[in-house]
Amino acid sequence: MKKIDKKVADAYFREKNTYMAIYFAIWFLVSYVMVAFADSLTDVQFLGFPFHYFMGGIGALFTFIVLLFVNAMVGDKIDKKYGISEERNEEIGSNNMINH
Amino acid sequence: MDTQFIVSMLIILATFALYIWIAVYNTAKQTSDFYVAGRGVPPIFNGMAIGADWMSAASFIGMAGTIMLLGYDGLAYIMGWTGGYLFLSILLAPQLRKFGRYTVPEFIGDRFNSKAALIIAALCTIIISFTYSIGQLSGSGVVIGRLFEIDAKIGTMIGVVLIAFYAAFGGMKGITWTQVAQYVILIIAYLVPVIFMSLHLTSNPLPWISYGEILTKMGELDRELGISEYFAPFTNGTKWQFLALMFTLMCGTAGLPHVIVRFYTVGTMKAARWSGAWALVFIGLLYFSAPAYAAFARFILMTEVAGNKIAELPAWTQSWIDTGKLGIADANGDGILQWLELQIANDIVVMATPEIANLGVFVIGLVAAGAMAAALSTAGGLMISISSSFAHDIYYRIINPQASEQKRLLIGRISIVVATLLAGIIALNPPGAITQIVAWAFALATGTFFPALVLGVWWKRANAKGTIAGMLVGLAVTLIYIFSAKYGGFTVLGIIDTGAGVFGAIAAFATNIIVSLSTRAPSQELQDAVINLRYPEQMVYKDGEVYLNDGSSQE
Repeated sequence: MKKIDKKVADAYFREKNTYMAIYFAIWFLVSYVMVAFADSLTDVQFLGFPFHYFMGGIGALFTFIVLLFVNAMVGDKIDKKYGISEERNEEIGSNNMINH
Repeated sequence: MDTQFIVSMLIILATFALYIWIAVYNTAKQTSDFYVAGRGVPPIFNGMAIGADWMSAASFIGMAGTIMLLGYDGLAYIMGWTGGYLFLSILLAPQLRKFGRYTVPEFIGDRFNSKAALIIAALCTIIISFTYSIGQLSGSGVVIGRLFEIDAKIGTMIGVVLIAFYAAFGGMKGITWTQVAQYVILIIAYLVPVIFMSLHLTSNPLPWISYGEILTKMGELDRELGISEYFAPFTNGTKWQFLALMFTLMCGTAGLPHVIVRFYTVGTMKAARWSGAWALVFIGLLYFSAPAYAAFARFILMTEVAGNKIAELPAWTQSWIDTGKLGIADANGDGILQWLELQIANDIVVMATPEIANLGVFVIGLVAAGAMAAALSTAGGLMISISSSFAHDIYYRIINPQASEQKRLLIGRISIVVATLLAGIIALNPPGAITQIVAWAFALATGTFFPALVLGVWWKRANAKGTIAGMLVGLAVTLIYIFSAKYGGFTVLGIIDTGAGVFGAIAAFATNIIVSLSTRAPSQELQDAVINLRYPEQMVYKDGEVYLNDGSSQE
């Protein structure tokens, strides 16, 4: 066990939270905000769809998938930046079970 | 016996043989294998298993039909049942994985160091999973009954036997690999008819892009008929109902114990993130297709079925009219079927459209097999949740901590059989439509587990009293709203019973925060354990300091 400066650990947490806030802002925009303005978007055409219908049927879900992959990749990158090794995580993770 | 019956039966039997073979081949031997598959499932396959677990009879059989009947308003299901994966994969699953417990009630019990919280969480798990499984069993009954031309009740009983068998003997590991197979079957079964219809109607093999032009054409047809356009928003409910339903389905997704437990089958927090991402890709394949399925089905009904002479309607109409789900009435007596004279129940759209579009016996049989896979896979996961809540959380942790592993496995299996039989009995005369029952299960999860888990993971000050009070208040508010909206006609802002979760969640969050703050803070040890969840496995928070576990000896 090696002690880490508390500032470094806090920076890790802050960095993750900043990204998280961005993801949820986008998530909110493509779902709730789009629905709230759905009635004024019906005349806008996009890829042959009325825009509000495109967002509800395709756009929002597509954005969710992209956000999850970005989150997974950015998460890996942040871990790497702070010197976290996945093999070590697996080792600790497999012991981190209360065995009954 | 006609060709359709033989072909459908052969396809269903072949797929069942495959699932049972996988379940038997992987018969669980150890408790840890039984509940969480020994944690060795790679993220991409775990993603498929989550997908199969997730997509139930409601997604496969009900959703496209619901969208067809509700138009834009039905898209609340598309966004709601997928948007919750952000809560799951970012806000909850990795942290719960690091905490390292077998089940959701166990997390709640240990996070708050409270047996009362554990018991309440276990009871909530049983209530939610049981409610949900009634819908699945009655769904499988409808499919089996329709297909083999037997009473739906006998179909339900056949479903009960099948589910009890492989859930009890396969355990989670059997189910994980069985569910990967089920995912593959159900997604092929869903995509084949959509792609065929897309080619038939638009000559474009990509339904996800091609249904835009069908929407526009239907808008014109609707205007000619003088009804509101298919894609016009909020024609079947208020905007608030749309938002409340979407919120309920999203939070319910993140609070469903049988889905969360899937994330314990991965090795690390990183694997939990990737499993969630892959799961949404596999789920998305069906969810992108459902609005296309709905649009094509409606267009075919409007242009190829409506306008025909009633006396000359094809053979498929009669067999569906016999089920009581399709109504044809020649209101103006001209002998020709008009669109407005056709009444179709949303639950048969997915099953009947391949017949309507004349896609052939093989595709029709395949869709039936896919519908069965969807119903059975979800029911299997639900049964495991019920059995682990009972055998592990209540029996082992509370009643008999000395129980041997064999005894616990036995209790787990008995509880699966009992729960399946009870759910089957209720499913013989279900208390509501399948989609409605499923929506209630989501509302209950939104009102109980979602606030408890979010606060438990992210707020170190949340304590046992606050969480117990929050879960109980959330449960009560959700139940009261469902009943008063459904039977008493009481609604707020036009929000009906399916959107009840929004009120449950608000009440539960408020109660949890107020009670937690007005009672004593949790012990330092518990607060440290919550701060520890901020970091990956290798970083350990202890006594106000963070350590990197690099394998060197401790201090």
